[in-house]
Amino acid sequence: MEIQTSLPKHSPPPPIEQTVVSKLVAERTKHLVPLILTRIHAGYFRITLSLGWQALLWKILLQPTQDSKIAIRAPKVFYSTILTIIWSFSLVILILLSLLYSLKCIFRFSMIKAEFMHHVGVNYLFAPWISWLLILESAPFVTPKHVSFVILWWIFAIPVIILDVKIYGQWFTKGKRFLTAVANPASQLSVVGNLVGARAAAKMEWREVSVFLFSLGMVHYLVLFVTLYQRLSGGDRLPAMLRPVFFLFFAAPSVASLAWYSISGSFDTPSKMLFFLSLFLFASLICRPALFRKAMRRFNIAWWAYSYPITLLALASARYEQEVQGGVSRAIRLLLSGLSVLVLLGLLLLTAFNPKLLLPDNDPILLTTALCFQLSFSHRTPMLTMWSNEGPFPKRIKRVGQKGKS
Amino acid sequence: MESSKENNSPREDSSEELPSLIRAITAHEVAGFDSLKDRDDSKGRLQSTGFHPLSASVFGIEAAETEDQSGLSKSQRMHSVSISMPPSPIEAHIQNTKRVLFRDTETILGNSVPNSAASYTNFGAQTKQARFYSQPMPKGSVLNEAISSEKSANLPPRNPRIEKLRDNRYDSFKTWSGKLERQISNLRGKRQPEQGSHAQQPAQMESVPVDRYFDALEGPELDTLRASEEILLPDDKQWPFLLRFPVSSFGICLGVSSQAIMWKTLASSESTKFLHVSPDINLVLWFISVALVVIVAAVYALKVIFYFEAVRREYYHPIRVNFFFAPWIALLFLALGIPPSFSNTLHASLWYILMTPIFFLELKIYGQWMSGGQRRLSKVANPSNHLSIVGNFVGALLGASMGLKEGPVFFFAVGLAHYTVLFVTLYQRLPTNETLPKELHPVFFLFVAAPSVASMAWARIQGTFDYGSRIAYFIALFLYFSLAVRVNFFRGFRFSLAWWAYTFPMTGAAIATIRYSSVVTNLVTKILTVILCLVSTLTVTALLVTTIIHAFILRDLFPNDISIAISDRSDRRPKTTRRWYHRRSGSSESNVEHYLKFSNSDGKDIEASVCPPSCNNQELSASSAK
Repeated sequence: MEIQTSLPKHSPPPPIEQTVVSKLVAERTKHLVPLILTRIHAGYFRITLSLGWQALLWKILLQPTQDSKIAIRAPKVFYSTILTIIWSFSLVILILLSLLYSLKCIFRFSMIKAEFMHHVGVNYLFAPWISWLLILESAPFVTPKHVSFVILWWIFAIPVIILDVKIYGQWFTKGKRFLTAVANPASQLSVVGNLVGARAAAKMEWREVSVFLFSLGMVHYLVLFVTLYQRLSGGDRLPAMLRPVFFLFFAAPSVASLAWYSISGSFDTPSKMLFFLSLFLFASLICRPALFRKAMRRFNIAWWAYSYPITLLALASARYEQEVQGGVSRAIRLLLSGLSVLVLLGLLLLTAFNPKLLLPDNDPILLTTALCFQLSFSHRTPMLTMWSNEGPFPKRIKRVGQKGKS
Repeated sequence: MESSKENNSPREDSSEELPSLIRAITAHEVAGFDSLKDRDDSKGRLQSTGFHPLSASVFGIEAAETEDQSGLSKSQRMHSVSISMPPSPIEAHIQNTKRVLFRDTETILGNSVPNSAASYTNFGAQTKQARFYSQPMPKGSVLNEAISSEKSANLPPRNPRIEKLRDNRYDSFKTWSGKLERQISNLRGKRQPEQGSHAQQPAQMESVPVDRYFDALEGPELDTLRASEEILLPDDKQWPFLLRFPVSSFGICLGVSSQAIMWKTLASSESTKFLHVSPDINLVLWFISVALVVIVAAVYALKVIFYFEAVRREYYHPIRVNFFFAPWIALLFLALGIPPSFSNTLHASLWYILMTPIFFLELKIYGQWMSGGQRRLSKVANPSNHLSIVGNFVGALLGASMGLKEGPVFFFAVGLAHYTVLFVTLYQRLPTNETLPKELHPVFFLFVAAPSVASMAWARIQGTFDYGSRIAYFIALFLYFSLAVRVNFFRGFRFSLAWWAYTFPMTGAAIATIRYSSVVTNLVTKILTVILCLVSTLTVTALLVTTIIHAFILRDLFPNDISIAISDRSDRRPKTTRRWYHRRSGSSESNVEHYLKFSNSDGKDIEASVCPPSCNNQELSASSAK
């Protein structure tokens, strides 16, 4: 069970860097924005994924439609207020994160590139688009038939497809990034991206597009599932800190079940099978708390990966209860939605009380990307000099060096 | 020293309780004791009576204690029983390795402390019968190992006492570690030394890492010992029956009860009316299989009760663990093949009861695959893993036949997902797969099982034999034929009981063909049905004949189950090394090399341990001189 991290967490940086670092440390001044810009990465969109799916869950649970058997009977004012609060909160967070991230794209583009080269980090590039699609779907006032919905869908779905082409192409063609080398549980996020797009397309009643996205996602899910289960490379593909990402194992089948539900119009046997698979994987992961012990030592942003798979499972169980009435399905749904709300609240509180830990100096994704960034800027362009002089990661690298010595 | 020796020797001669061997050793190697200083000896006594601290870092305290206790120990050593008989080679092994530690790091072995402490507490009680053999404890164990493995050539003839020693070898596999027997003999007034009681407990045998199984065993079923390996139990003698009774015996139940289902389907299906099969065949076969399940389960339950350690080792065996699904699958088969005259409807709760153990086993096994570690799929994949998949489909089939809705879909979904993973992995024949048979073996027939059962299960779930069922059925048929054309299957392999488990896929394919022919009824499907049913019946008959031959003529139906008795090699594990590093303080680099040399090869270890006791004591004297 001991799994070594493959990242150079404990290895001292090369000597060239250290000279650069010490020079930078000397002239460094503290600014919040460059700090955030350096520390932030696409993994932060896990927060908006969680919030977006939570909003969707409450939309489904609260909205009284004529055929809904699962909706909580509540006055209209009540549910629309709750929904609007949740939705606007997640929208604000998403806008904030997107702004910061696009700023990073402008000023620290090489770091984005390094993120793209990272085998875990690259999958989180799907997260912003998935979050936006979710916000779009859970919006309380726009219906899927509306023109703005269609336009926005295209805006958010096309980057997902472009990323798909790029990543799936890397998997099955030449190069160092073939699947067995890069596969890790976070890779399932690319599948989730396709399936969310398929679900939204099915809501717009664009059947062909949604089936296209669904089949694209499912075929690669199949390949990925087999590869991940085989675990050819042992356990070293995923740093121990990112273990919460294992929860994506059951997120993918849940979202597939939801997507198929939207496409076929009823929660039929394939949807049920996907939901049951998801449930089994959930049980299987819950039974192995030892797997997550290493990640649980200190709060970090990866913890947000616990939240949205549970919410997704709760969503699928809500649809399941709609199809199969009964005590068991009701119990499953209540349990899972309760758990998802609790986890989300807990994470929100932890995040609110630990703003420092929100920008950790030993983020596994950032660690490698920052090193790449540092190396690529030994001869700097003037504009970037300004930013990187003040950036905090020299401090971080220094710390890493100290860690390595101790 | 000498005088005490002489004082004791007449009694030794008269005593019938003393093993002649030890007498021989003490007689031969008295010279070793002569060279000892008194203080060294007292230290040796102290160490073997477990008085002193475990850690080498407190060496000073240790020495001080030696000073304090020397008087006491001098007075007591005449009365104390210090010989320790190892109950089993495992203990001997542990002590061997620990002894090496002890020699290097100048501390007492942790393991011996409770034992000798126990003997110390008995000082008062044992004064009368006490004998002083003047043998340091590890030495005794080593000698016994030498005796029992008959490696020393110049040993005196055995006496019955040693035979009894040999029987203790199985104790480490026993659930109660022979405690009960000792209590009984204590009641009889025959007091036995209690040294062994702690070391015998199963806790001593930690779970064997999966790599050990790969290192020590070979063969498609991982049941043959590699030439370089040694086992814990005597390999020249038949073990107790329960130890030889493997969990794969449940394969018989699988084979026979699936026949019962086939004959039930033949009797009841529309498309096979022309065969005029009597339902009585099903009735007879069903009763036979019930009897078999009861017998096998009872025997195995006895094994669980009496030799739990052996069961545990089977559970850790990367291939045997799949056979732990067999009993539950056999019960599902019994429920499926229940004669119509007997009962037509089963209560739904039965299904839940039967599926619960399967569910938990799956959580365990699939979880091991997914979460990596030593038992990840790319390492342990083997055709027998199909047994852990088939349970899902059989359960789905039974549940859907009973009219349940959601439960069968659940197991079908879980089974399908993991079947896909397993199928791809087995087809890839990854180089990391250490257990995949290199050549053909009957175990490959398990490939047929999952798709044929899945086709029936899906047909039951959907209500019709639709495209999904047909796809699964045709996959099964193709796999069956691709295996069937390779006819020289059963040649060149040692027969084992596990082969029974490989017949049920054939029967499953035959049943699926009956189902298919009742949807698509024409001459071809009817011929196919008859052929497949005949083949499966013939195979089962042939296997029955082979089993009877092996059971009653060759009498080797239950050979020694080598795979549960591989040695732990705990000295190779990093844990021990780490512990050793903690104790290392003060020892020189040459000692490190020394340690590594000994820990690397067992052979050397044994040789080293046969050296006269003076070896040991000289080291002790060296340590106390420091």
